[in-house]
Amino acid sequence: MTCSFLLPLALWCLIAYLPVWKSEIRISLSSDANNSDFPTVYVPGDHMEEARFDAFRAAVRQDNTDPQAAETAAAGRRANKRILRGITPLALAENWITPEQEKDYAALYTVWQRIALGELSGGLSQENLGIVSENWADMSAVSPSYNSRNFPSEPLLKLIPEGKSEVKRPLFLPAPHEIIARASEDFRGQSELGDLNVWGRYLVSIRTIAGGFLLVCLVGVPIALLCGTFSFFSRLIEPFVDFFRYMPAPAFGTLLIALFGIYDAPKLALVFLGTLPQLILMVANTTRMLDTSLLDAAQTLGANRKQLVTRVVIPGILPNLHNDIRILLGWAWTWLIIAELLGVKAGLTEIIDTQGRRFHFDHVYPIILLIGLTGFLTDQFLAWFRGVIFPYTEQGISASARSAARVLSKVSPLRLKRALRAKPVTVAT
Amino acid sequence: MSNTHSEASPDIMMIKPNQLLSIFGLCAITLFTSCSKQESPTASAPDPEVSTPETAAPAPSPPPPPTPAPTGKPLTVGYSDWPGWVAWEIGIKKGWFAEEGVNVQFEWMDYVASMEAYGAGKLDAVSMTNGDALVTGATAKPSVCILINDFSNGNDMVIGKSGIDSVKDLKGKKVALEEGFVPHLLVLKALEDNGMSDTDITIVNTPTNDTPQVLKSDEISAICAWQPSSGAALKQVPGSKPIYTSKDIPGLIYDCLFVTEYSLKYRRDDWVKVVKVWYRIVDYIKDEDNTDDILSILSARVNVKPDEYEPFLNGTYILSLEEALIAWRNAPGLKSVYGSSEISDAFNVKFEVYKEPVDYTAYFDRTLTKDVAKAMK
Repeated sequence: MTCSFLLPLALWCLIAYLPVWKSEIRISLSSDANNSDFPTVYVPGDHMEEARFDAFRAAVRQDNTDPQAAETAAAGRRANKRILRGITPLALAENWITPEQEKDYAALYTVWQRIALGELSGGLSQENLGIVSENWADMSAVSPSYNSRNFPSEPLLKLIPEGKSEVKRPLFLPAPHEIIARASEDFRGQSELGDLNVWGRYLVSIRTIAGGFLLVCLVGVPIALLCGTFSFFSRLIEPFVDFFRYMPAPAFGTLLIALFGIYDAPKLALVFLGTLPQLILMVANTTRMLDTSLLDAAQTLGANRKQLVTRVVIPGILPNLHNDIRILLGWAWTWLIIAELLGVKAGLTEIIDTQGRRFHFDHVYPIILLIGLTGFLTDQFLAWFRGVIFPYTEQGISASARSAARVLSKVSPLRLKRALRAKPVTVAT
Repeated sequence: MSNTHSEASPDIMMIKPNQLLSIFGLCAITLFTSCSKQESPTASAPDPEVSTPETAAPAPSPPPPPTPAPTGKPLTVGYSDWPGWVAWEIGIKKGWFAEEGVNVQFEWMDYVASMEAYGAGKLDAVSMTNGDALVTGATAKPSVCILINDFSNGNDMVIGKSGIDSVKDLKGKKVALEEGFVPHLLVLKALEDNGMSDTDITIVNTPTNDTPQVLKSDEISAICAWQPSSGAALKQVPGSKPIYTSKDIPGLIYDCLFVTEYSLKYRRDDWVKVVKVWYRIVDYIKDEDNTDDILSILSARVNVKPDEYEPFLNGTYILSLEEALIAWRNAPGLKSVYGSSEISDAFNVKFEVYKEPVDYTAYFDRTLTKDVAKAMK
């Protein structure tokens, strides 16, 4: 079993760490280029091809030689505050400010002052050191300390973007170590994207699956038992179910919203609708496979119809029913993502969908792995649990399950009841 | 033999179902108790933690006067990732709806999904553009606009890949956009302005949120999307650029709050309070010292960084109360929400989004905004 996990993992490592990926510049210090070739804002952490990065820097330098005055004084101040704030990632990396001061312009103002006076250095190119000095001269001429309204509105010089070259894998192929890092941040609620509330959403997702699945079992299993036991019900129900199961459940999505609203109900309904036909057909089939000699024997002993179902059929198929349920639970999980997109997006899907759209696949994969792991562990548990509740079946039962079964049989309510009932008998004899 | 049988069989056959039943029963109980607590990820619960950063001027927030507790069922409002509607987040996070004494539940959804939920009768109100409200009205459920948030001023973009430098270059190319909705309208308008027609391009129907991924594909030459999707596309596809934006035709797209006729009739007072909160939000946005605070609130809602969000503020022209009153005048042309809707209606009929022209004037009720304006004087 270990091998079957190690193999894909090794393959992933191989592809991710092979030196086939180009390097790109990871921007560490950014500015806004007023240039149609760079129509969007680049922030520290973004990647750019080297040639494009050079063009980006050139575009910012061009802006500095030909500064454009803003339309209003307020807009000018705002643009300059953006320049002031541009130093933040560097100041954080060099511990010139604390993370709490990230939005504290007064602290940043002091940082600019200290760089200009030569008290702080490191991390900035000569070119940018010059820009800091020139800007500081303008800023300090207006006000020696930070004042949001008494701040230059004439354009200051923009810092020239800086960055480091690093291996850039395709977005959809983050390396294992990156996934582990993201997972540990995201799961602890300390993501770079803010608190993603992974565990809260995880609970919601599990509730959706568990709720939908419980519902489908409560409704589906009795129907399936009827179908499997009595051919009348089988002929009445199964052909339509067979037809219905080919209709894709998500096709009913808008209908489910119209019927059940936009919160939890349509999501449960989709899991229900997607699993029900499979459940009925599978469990009915399982029921039909019951050893007929058991039924014959019971009838010979004088069992009536009701007794046949409750005393022979149901107990007889339970171990196989357990197997079916295991498989169907996996089936139910496949509907999760589509279900949670109905109405108000909920659960883990919210993260997968939103982060996927923003190309944050390094935040998406940990969630997908979490879902896979949950399903896998549930399945493993149920397989083990089979040994506990059906110790008499012949399939491989682990030692731990066997001992658990022994404990369980000692405390089982029926045995207790029987022990109590046995008492007066002893007294009588 | 028969003795052992009768001893053994209940042991095997009866205990197990009992155990199973009790296990299932337990599961059922825990599940339903937990299910009964309705999750509301975007609940309008006030968040006292959110306040102006220290650097901002002292926040002008006197201790809230005792307000009547919000009564009645919460008004449900669908809102989506258009920057003008994300701005509601400020009122939500700061608890201004509760302060105003109105119980509103804002539901964060995808734009088209929110209109579908509204059409299915599951929301009291939804944020739509004036053009899409006509489409939703003609195909699913009519609505009444009570509030104009903004007009699109550049955030709606037609984005061409490298090599597509103008709308004219689109001839014979594939353009990905959401058919029948606001991006469709913008592209058709772009074609019309350049003396082209809808037959000059092939439209590939794509949900707006997926357009950034789609632009990466070799098949597609251009997309039409709004921020933050358009920004994501520009960043993901180096060399791509806007070739036509709503800034080229300001007033074509007004972004508004549309309410059901029923809710407006029976809960009008509550809706006036919602409008009031909106203008409190507008005042807060217009103060330059609050810019960093609003950027951190708004950018968190759509999962971008505050610095990336900042240009969205200019691409969405949020109307002040005075400007809104001008846009509310019933006049032809794009300066009026009526005139703009007349153009949208003509477009929708021409391109068979729906068959018959609609009475667009029935979609607008300016009295709520006027009431708020009166109360503020």
